[in-house]
Amino acid sequence: MPTTSRWMIRCSLLYLLVGFTIGTIMLISKAYPAYSQVWMLLPVHIEMLIFGFIIQFTMGTAYWILPRFLEGEPRGNTAWSKVMVGALNAGILINAWSYLNIFPQWGTTVGRSLEIIAVILFIHLHWRRAVSYR
Amino acid sequence: MPRIARTFIKTGLAYFLCSLLLALGYEFDTFRFPGMIPLFWHLLMVGWITQIIFGVSMWMFPGRTREEGLIAQKWAWSTYILLNIGLMLRVIAEPMIGYSTLRIWDVLIIISALTQVAAAVTYTIELWPRIQSKKKRRQNRKKKRQSSKNNPH
Repeated sequence: MPTTSRWMIRCSLLYLLVGFTIGTIMLISKAYPAYSQVWMLLPVHIEMLIFGFIIQFTMGTAYWILPRFLEGEPRGNTAWSKVMVGALNAGILINAWSYLNIFPQWGTTVGRSLEIIAVILFIHLHWRRAVSYR
Repeated sequence: MPRIARTFIKTGLAYFLCSLLLALGYEFDTFRFPGMIPLFWHLLMVGWITQIIFGVSMWMFPGRTREEGLIAQKWAWSTYILLNIGLMLRVIAEPMIGYSTLRIWDVLIIISALTQVAAAVTYTIELWPRIQSKKKRRQNRKKKRQSSKNNPH
């Protein structure tokens, strides 16, 4: 498994743990409505589990498992793949901090833009790997 | 495909259908009940998508044990049991919280929340050591072969 995939899958497991923990707190608050302020964590819960866990896990596994190039770098430019991991995770964290008002509200624009950069890089790295060598 | 992966995937497929039936039910006033929308999203995202990811990764990731069974695959089966107990308790208790003030529903919701997060922990324990580079995988195989040579029984 390449380094990029290992990093993405490890990060996704960390987001899974944090996301499920936030979900646990919110679900318990249904039994104790007095603590309903924990519902401000809902957008963080969604961001961490959808982008942090599901999307990142899928991207990391695809980077590992799709057919490799027969010539040159087997999975394309590794530097771009590292930028992809950095941009995706920076985007997720900036969004989460913006939802928690640690960053200003416009932080989500920056966060989403970084996620878009990661997706463009993902497409760039994988487009020509979706092939059959038969 | 190992039994644990098949079980995860088949359970996931059942949740997929249930979640969409719930979404269909929401379209009719007579079938609506409290907490239906969060239930739909959780059956879809946890019951289907997360369960499929868990099942396929336990099958495909390197370093899985070839031995089948609850003890040999304790973390994988713990994940399956905890996740599904948690989800089922949520399906039962979440709508009931809207109808009844009985304490039992609160307790079931708390158990549901704790079992689901425990499933995330056991899944991480199962998968984390299996996120390996090719080099590490070869080293592990070599170690295994050497130890089986040294202890043939």
